[in-house]
Amino acid sequence: MVEKTVEILRAIGNLNKARIIAHLAKHRGETAESIGKHLGYPLPTVYKYLRELEAVNAVESEARGNTRVYFAGEFKLEVSPQKLMEAFEEQTMMELYKARFGAEGVEKLRKVAAKAKAGKMTFRQAAASLGITYFEFVSLLDEVGALDA
Amino acid sequence: MRRYLVVDSSVLIFYDRRGALEDFLRQKKKENYTVVIPKAIALEVVDEAKEFAEEIKQVAPAAANRILASVERISAAVAQGLIQVVTVNYGKYSKVMDNVRKHLSRLDAASEYAVKKGDPELVALVIQLYDEVKEKVFVATLDKGLLKALKPFIKDVEYEIMKTWALIAINLDVTLKIGILD
Repeated sequence: MVEKTVEILRAIGNLNKARIIAHLAKHRGETAESIGKHLGYPLPTVYKYLRELEAVNAVESEARGNTRVYFAGEFKLEVSPQKLMEAFEEQTMMELYKARFGAEGVEKLRKVAAKAKAGKMTFRQAAASLGITYFEFVSLLDEVGALDA
Repeated sequence: MRRYLVVDSSVLIFYDRRGALEDFLRQKKKENYTVVIPKAIALEVVDEAKEFAEEIKQVAPAAANRILASVERISAAVAQGLIQVVTVNYGKYSKVMDNVRKHLSRLDAASEYAVKKGDPELVALVIQLYDEVKEKVFVATLDKGLLKALKPFIKDVEYEIMKTWALIAINLDVTLKIGILD
């Protein structure tokens, strides 16, 4: 997924974090203390980096007794000019909708989405009234943050 | 004890967009829920989504690919048995579905023939499953309008808000329900 590419790049786009991953690829199941000692990083910094890397599954951990050990995650990053272009230039569903239906369509979407969000019509009814698929309608709602409580 | 959780498309799409669909489904399986969807919903999140991706692929290939990837993940979840697709018994529940269509078309001042299958099938499936197990049937949806549409068909509704979506535990008295909108 291109979103995953950006997420991973953001997380490991730092030489010290990349070194941690490289170290764990060679030395599986190390503690944060051991990583810090080997690489010469302060322990709070190591923990911070490990948290950020775990959030994107670039690193995994498991509890062993009273301690936690770390492993390099299973990920593959394809970095090429093409992939970077796709990552940063992908169209949102809203941009796509606007290109197809114009400003008038966006205004209609706004009104229909408000009705659907208020429970005055179902999402399916809303999608049908806009002439779009349910999938597109829900994706649009999600993009504008209308699905969160 | 088997517990049915009828999941609306809105929840499937919501979790899939966050890369969390499989985790959600496996968690529900761990909690002894059988996650089910009616056929109309399976069509929405697979066939219709594929058609939409095909429609936009010339102008937005990246978006089309994302949609197709989503379709693959949902199809894989069905293939792995994490989601069961259940056919609603139209012969037995056509009256319920007609009543749901009438009810929804009144809300929207539109023809009942314009009401998409997903809503009436979801309501009918909830009732069908209750008939099967005579136990609470759970429903997960982000669609407030759909929750309201369910209300006339059920006797007691308990709302349990879980994170960003409403989980309803429903006790059904089916005989009473079908009569309401005649």
